Amino acid sequence: MRIAIDVLVAISVFFAFAGTMGIIRFPDTFTRIHASGNITTLGVLGVIIGGVLYSGFYLHDGGMVVKLLIMGVFYLVTSPISSHAIMKGAYKHGVRPDKEMVCDKYGEDMVEEEEE
Amino acid sequence: MIFEEFVFFAICFIVMALCLFYRLIVGPSAADRAVTADCLDVLTDMALILFALYSGRSVFLDLALITAILGFLGSVITSRYLEGRL
Repeated sequence: MRIAIDVLVAISVFFAFAGTMGIIRFPDTFTRIHASGNITTLGVLGVIIGGVLYSGFYLHDGGMVVKLLIMGVFYLVTSPISSHAIMKGAYKHGVRPDKEMVCDKYGEDMVEEEEE
Repeated sequence: MIFEEFVFFAICFIVMALCLFYRLIVGPSAADRAVTADCLDVLTDMALILFALYSGRSVFLDLALITAILGFLGSVITSRYLEGRL
């Protein structure tokens, strides 16, 4: 069980490292948002599942298990919402990708809304 | 049984959070700073969870839950402001 918990937390450290490198090195705002999803879903879920196993099998504390499960469900629900909201706000604020876009459906929808 | 490796993993998360301060300072647009602040919040949360497991106190779990809720609210309100509807 100890090995399983360590492997889960190490996987989460790996994903957090990948997300951090992505945020620092990616060239563009939208690719950085894509890299931040690495941290806020997989990185957190590894720590939370490892924590549930540890607090259930070693600490024998039911309250910590329930709190960790609530935090996991909260992260699963809210991280797509926040990243989607930030992406929409960045697009309306005037941020565009570095390279030429192949198709821009959201911009066409915005133009149609303004014409109506 | 005490898991001492939780402290090393928590130190790893804190070092990553300190690395993110680079993007928080030099980020070209405001959306970059919002995304980076969100991720910094989550990394601090993970370190808090690991420290709560290491010390066996559930107070730090409450603090981590509050930090998660405040980070979500902050990023959503920042995106509303960028959208121009606040």
